[in-house]
Amino acid sequence: MKKVLVPDPMLCTGCRSCEMACSLVKEGECNPRTSRIRIISFKHDGIDLPILCYHCSLPPCKEACPVDGAIAIDPDIGVLKVNEELCIGCGKCVEACPFGAITLHPNRGKAIKCDLCDGTPKCIEFCTTKAIRYLDPEQIAMQKRMKHASSITKPILTSKLYKLEV
Amino acid sequence: MSVSKLYGGWAEYILRINLTNKKIVKQPLTKELAFNFLGGRGINSKILFDEVPVGTDPFSPENRLIFGVGPLNGTLSPAAGRYTVSAKSPLTGILGDANCGGHWAAELKYAGYGNIVFQGKAEDPVYLWIDDEHVELRNAKHLWGLTTWEVEKEIINEIGNPNIKVVSIGPAGENLVRFACVITELGRAAGRTGMGAVMGSKKLKAIAVHGSKGVKIARPKDLEKATLESYDTLMTDLFYRLYADYGTPGLLTLYNEYGANTAYNSREAWVEWFEEVSGETFIAKYSVKHKACFSCPFHCDKFYRVESGPYACYGDSCEFETITAFGTRCGNKNLASICKGSTLADNLGMDTISAGAVIGWAMECYEKGIITKEDTDGLELTWGNPDAILETIKKIAYREGFGNILAEGVRRASEKIGKGSEEFAVHIKGMETPAVDPRAVSGYGALGYAVASRGGDHLRALAASSYMMAPELAEKLFGSKSAADRFAAEGQGRCVKFHEDMRAVADSLEMCKYITRTALLFPEPLAKILAAVTGWDLRPEELVMIGERINNIERAFNVREGITRKDDTQPKRLLKEPIPRGPSKGHYCAEWLDQMLDEYYENREWDIKTGLPTKKKLEKLGLKYVANELEKMGKLPKSSIEKRK
Repeated sequence: MKKVLVPDPMLCTGCRSCEMACSLVKEGECNPRTSRIRIISFKHDGIDLPILCYHCSLPPCKEACPVDGAIAIDPDIGVLKVNEELCIGCGKCVEACPFGAITLHPNRGKAIKCDLCDGTPKCIEFCTTKAIRYLDPEQIAMQKRMKHASSITKPILTSKLYKLEV
Repeated sequence: MSVSKLYGGWAEYILRINLTNKKIVKQPLTKELAFNFLGGRGINSKILFDEVPVGTDPFSPENRLIFGVGPLNGTLSPAAGRYTVSAKSPLTGILGDANCGGHWAAELKYAGYGNIVFQGKAEDPVYLWIDDEHVELRNAKHLWGLTTWEVEKEIINEIGNPNIKVVSIGPAGENLVRFACVITELGRAAGRTGMGAVMGSKKLKAIAVHGSKGVKIARPKDLEKATLESYDTLMTDLFYRLYADYGTPGLLTLYNEYGANTAYNSREAWVEWFEEVSGETFIAKYSVKHKACFSCPFHCDKFYRVESGPYACYGDSCEFETITAFGTRCGNKNLASICKGSTLADNLGMDTISAGAVIGWAMECYEKGIITKEDTDGLELTWGNPDAILETIKKIAYREGFGNILAEGVRRASEKIGKGSEEFAVHIKGMETPAVDPRAVSGYGALGYAVASRGGDHLRALAASSYMMAPELAEKLFGSKSAADRFAAEGQGRCVKFHEDMRAVADSLEMCKYITRTALLFPEPLAKILAAVTGWDLRPEELVMIGERINNIERAFNVREGITRKDDTQPKRLLKEPIPRGPSKGHYCAEWLDQMLDEYYENREWDIKTGLPTKKKLEKLGLKYVANELEKMGKLPKSSIEKRK
């Protein structure tokens, strides 16, 4: 069953601890450039948002990759992974991804991207405001349904008519 | 050889820029320097002592302007997002430095530099552009005169990379306002002691950095573990919720309840109307979102927006100090105008504490009739007049009319105005004292501010334990239960010394003092994090000793400039005038100051009579050359140290 990382811009403080944790666990160093998760900040609006891979079911990066198997979906947890041994570092995937979620390693020149740490994402451990959550898309949809439902029913619940009927 | 070849954490180079002849040199950041002074403030202060001789005019090309980051910057370590900028201060004439958060410090590390040392003076305005190895002084004639927000935008456009990080000065720095600061990312300020003015005197408008190198971590697993452990400590700390939910504005209610909130130019220390400007009100009315500096779980920063009205504005972080400075200190109950003042000061690039203090002083002058409308260019400087406050902030930045006098800071301004106004000029060694009234907190304020190596300042000691620690623990650590009693003297000297050493360590690791304020107060967790990052195993006592070394070299710098025990005091108002009302009614600094100073010097192993550091102590800290220089100048105590009676 596929789960993805879901960022919340209202909770993200822009501290970038996720970038640090990611590069530390993936590369043994601390470096935003090698982090698979990146924070985009719009300073004048006070907005910070983690940008990361959504692990698309029809991944444009995989489609664009000229090497068979260099980008592949791991069927167990639905993770889209790069096989660095096969990757030729052409950067076609970087061009294809609409989210900027895949890039080339600054030294190795191979494609790097989030692999959800094989089901236990490190970044969320260090996100103290819980701005990144690890969820099944069905959970996300259910949360949205609840929110939507309550916004629709609120006027009914608070209306005089409803009270009279009760 | 650079320490970075052997250890994780530290950057490879110290960058040296001569602005007069445009020469740029990269020196290795040596192990000796790193192990003795850690980084940031520590290394900056050592360079200042070594290279800025006694009597140097702060605005002369000979003054150094040093930016420094430490071994933890740019790593997962909690709240290691800070840098220190140091120079001889134009406000105080002694050691000056200011510490600032945000994301610039990490970027400098990623570019490979630990410290940047500027000397000389550019003929025309320049800015420094660092792109990893590429270091270039660029023309800034077209940027001169712009506000800090404008210049950041302009440089980002010019370089064409939204990821670069910029520190800059605004008009206040350019116009040599003696308390001008350095700003990054809207609201993060290296606020105190006028570092922005030194930058302006060197015609250096900004430093833009882009870095792409990683920081080497010696023991990644250990760092993960130590960081998660520190989160646990932080989040169970008494102050976590206050900072996380309300930011520093949350302190206003607390300090007002202590009767320790500077108001009406320190005439009062408590106001009944505090709720109009409290953190709770700020959050409810104007705060939009929590923000954080680099790698910080505390997120005390609040993005704020005043939607409409005459004070419509937005900005990053309207701090407790700012709310007190433009609020209670000036009798101003209008919180929107305080937010506007914060935005204005950030744009113009000036320290809100000194600005608020000098305006508060001017208001008292106005009330007393020492100055009139004629002196203030027609401004009605009555208590709590928000428009007059905002107008004065602008006048100071541009040194217009009356602002030109206030731009000199309260010491010089009161000397100029005279007529008894010196009596209520609230400063220590030339620097305006901060928001917490020292008469209400003996160790934290009365002693802490008096001995701070950069003049009237709370962050050197930040001895929060001195008013809130469990008495039993205070007894264990500082030899007396009263070390945690805010109206007592006994034990406070030891308490302040300990805190000063720990703060010097935090400032040199470039970790935030808010997470080390009470939560990560002790050296053990810091040594653990440092070892994980660098691979250097040092004992907690050794870390404290580095803190001591830094405080001693800073003291030596100031002693060389003529500072002795007689300067380690409080302004007349705080020393002798009792607080008139509120929970701290009746207290004044002279109650405890002498006794605390004796204890403090004794624990520092300095001369009690003169406050001069001793040869023995300096040598014990490996500062023999410092002792020799002071000896040559006759600045070591004549006889052996007297024991305290």
